[in-house]
Amino acid sequence: MTTKTVGIALVASLAFAGTVQAQELFVGILNDNTGPTALVGAEMAAAKQDTLDWINANGGINGKKIQYEAVDYAYKAPAAIAAYKKWMSRGVPPIAVLGYGTADTEALSNFINQDKVIYLSHSFSAKLTDPAGKSGAVERPTPYNFFHGPSYSDGCRAVVTWAMEDWKSKGNKGKPKFAFTGDNHPFANSPRAACLKHAEEIGFEIVPAIQYSMRPGDFKAQCITLRETGAEYTYLGNTGDSNVAMLRSCASVGVKTRFMTNIYGYSEIEMKAAGDAANGVVIPLHIKWWNADVSGAKLLHKISKGVQRSTFYTASVCSVMYLKEAMEWADKNGGITAENVRKGMYQKKDWVPAGLEGLCAPATWTAEDHRNVTQISVSEGIINGDKYSWRVLREVNIGREARWWGQ
Amino acid sequence: MAALVPRPSGDFRTSYIADKAIFPSRNSAIICVLGILVLMAAPPFLSPYQLSLGIYIGIYAIAALGLNILTGFSGQISLGHSAFFGLGAFGSTYLSNRHGMPVPLSIFCSGLIATFIGLFVGIPAARIKGIYLAIATLASQFLLEDFFSRASWFTGGAAGAFAKPYSIFGYQLSGDRLYSYVVLIHLIVLFLFATNVLRSRTGRALVAIRDHYLSAEIMGINLTGYRVLAFGISTFYAGVAGALMAHFTGFVSAESINILLSIQFFAMIIIGGLGSVMGSILGAIFIVLLPETLEFVVHAFRATGWPVVAQIGSSLDFIKEASIGLVIILFLIVEPRGLAHRWQYIKAYWKLYPFAH
Repeated sequence: MTTKTVGIALVASLAFAGTVQAQELFVGILNDNTGPTALVGAEMAAAKQDTLDWINANGGINGKKIQYEAVDYAYKAPAAIAAYKKWMSRGVPPIAVLGYGTADTEALSNFINQDKVIYLSHSFSAKLTDPAGKSGAVERPTPYNFFHGPSYSDGCRAVVTWAMEDWKSKGNKGKPKFAFTGDNHPFANSPRAACLKHAEEIGFEIVPAIQYSMRPGDFKAQCITLRETGAEYTYLGNTGDSNVAMLRSCASVGVKTRFMTNIYGYSEIEMKAAGDAANGVVIPLHIKWWNADVSGAKLLHKISKGVQRSTFYTASVCSVMYLKEAMEWADKNGGITAENVRKGMYQKKDWVPAGLEGLCAPATWTAEDHRNVTQISVSEGIINGDKYSWRVLREVNIGREARWWGQ
Repeated sequence: MAALVPRPSGDFRTSYIADKAIFPSRNSAIICVLGILVLMAAPPFLSPYQLSLGIYIGIYAIAALGLNILTGFSGQISLGHSAFFGLGAFGSTYLSNRHGMPVPLSIFCSGLIATFIGLFVGIPAARIKGIYLAIATLASQFLLEDFFSRASWFTGGAAGAFAKPYSIFGYQLSGDRLYSYVVLIHLIVLFLFATNVLRSRTGRALVAIRDHYLSAEIMGINLTGYRVLAFGISTFYAGVAGALMAHFTGFVSAESINILLSIQFFAMIIIGGLGSVMGSILGAIFIVLLPETLEFVVHAFRATGWPVVAQIGSSLDFIKEASIGLVIILFLIVEPRGLAHRWQYIKAYWKLYPFAH
């Protein structure tokens, strides 16, 4: 019986794929709600859906509603490919896919170039910033990949730049020690070489790397090693739960170092989970937080219907709103096709989506360079009992140095 | 079908020729050939979604067959199968990108690379077995995973590696439609090869070792040799499957090669049927289509707009993921001997219709 039942369900599912009705404007969404990065993924999933709902409720794209379908792919590349192929089998394929992380962005990079579909994700790999192959540092250009924010490498360079100034401003002499920690995993490794090179160039002494797993565990052994290296500044290369475990372990063995991390390594969620151990962690922000005193926060609150959200949420809202404006431009200039939306992304310089002023860092995409944000707010999280807030330590302009492009 | 499906008791052969036949009857041979012809004719009528699922099934079936030869036929457990899958994927990409090797050849050679490393990993199998071997192969999984992350010259490191499209005699066979033929042909050739190996002296030796290694040794079977050979064959299949996957997606990342994939291969052969060539395909079909079916169910449920949908909210995704596990558990309770066994029941049902089995 089991075989029969499953068989019937399968036939039904396959038949369904071919009969999806033609929609005017369709966008596919890939989320990780249940996979290993769900801590970050669930916030972004909510943000993407809330933003599209808000757009549709407020006039859509010049009156056209965006149809969307969200799939939880649990950070499994084959599931992402299956979802993508399902969308491409529709009567009207998607104009854009709102992707999520490294796993789906990489797995689909080849297909989206062939099919010419805009891929807006939250994977900030420096390899995705060269749309025309001009940097000389990437193996294959990625003209359809977009993200809003500095690359992981540029983010790490920014916090390291801040760290050196922090060291000097305290009147310290000599070379400060810098430790790059993280799993031997593509995500953690992405900025490693670039960041270490920059740190060395600006005068850090690099201590041996420390490896801690992407899967949370007890990292006291790593923390003791870290303590013994005497590193004054430590970069955490992992995300969410893993960083929480690392921060807690290090607090318990009394490591005295200033922790810095990537955009997905720290937010209000990690502050809450790690408590005081996560106080003062420094990250490169290209967006502002929930209760920031900026005019754009009003729209953020409307989109989230008043539910307080993390910086992950804001980041996702910003990127979807950029896409919205590019679609509006495309609609007025020859119709909403992936090619026109792509052109739409290139129309303005240093722009912020209407209504989100102050919330999203100004961005510029060009047909030759997808490094979009150069102004990075190096910020620290402040934990005061059960209150979580942020403070900008320094605005770092990372620029667009040719030698850093694509790396 | 000497080795395609386990034979029920009472179904015996009276001659060696009958025993070694690939197909148990003329009808099954005809059905098999017709099935292949239907699959050959199908791609032009299928959507990219259906084709991509078909490609996944094909690729996973090849890898699962490899694992089945090792686990189902020679009784050795490997928890490192996906590492060899990854080795094939990176190997073929490396050979075709860096050394300009034509992709069809690089797929084959990457299988050989995987075999070479697989034979090496298989050496402990001479001394250890059962759960100890599982741990030894688990170690090889982690070693290779770490290697993939570090060896930038081979894998591209954190950036991953782009794989060239499949082309033969100057014709590019990329895209779901054309590539499905590439996978289908590999599938047919590798399944025929496995069936032939398993009905030969080698195959019988492997089964003898699985069933009672002491008796096998007393009969003069070289335990070490055959055990290591089983690793070699198994890793060749994993390597070729990995290479096929690389040239399908066009990109390989160390991130996608993990222990979960190894366990998935394991699930395929257990669900499909241990010691069954046919079961390897059925298991791959099951594992690929189950999440898609549940995704379809969830999607249909969401589309109803019932108030309960809003109440459940995003927990629906968790329910879906948990259901995959639940279905597998239920399935193993209802059909512990795998889909291949169920398939025999279904065949018997039609053969004896209208009388019950």
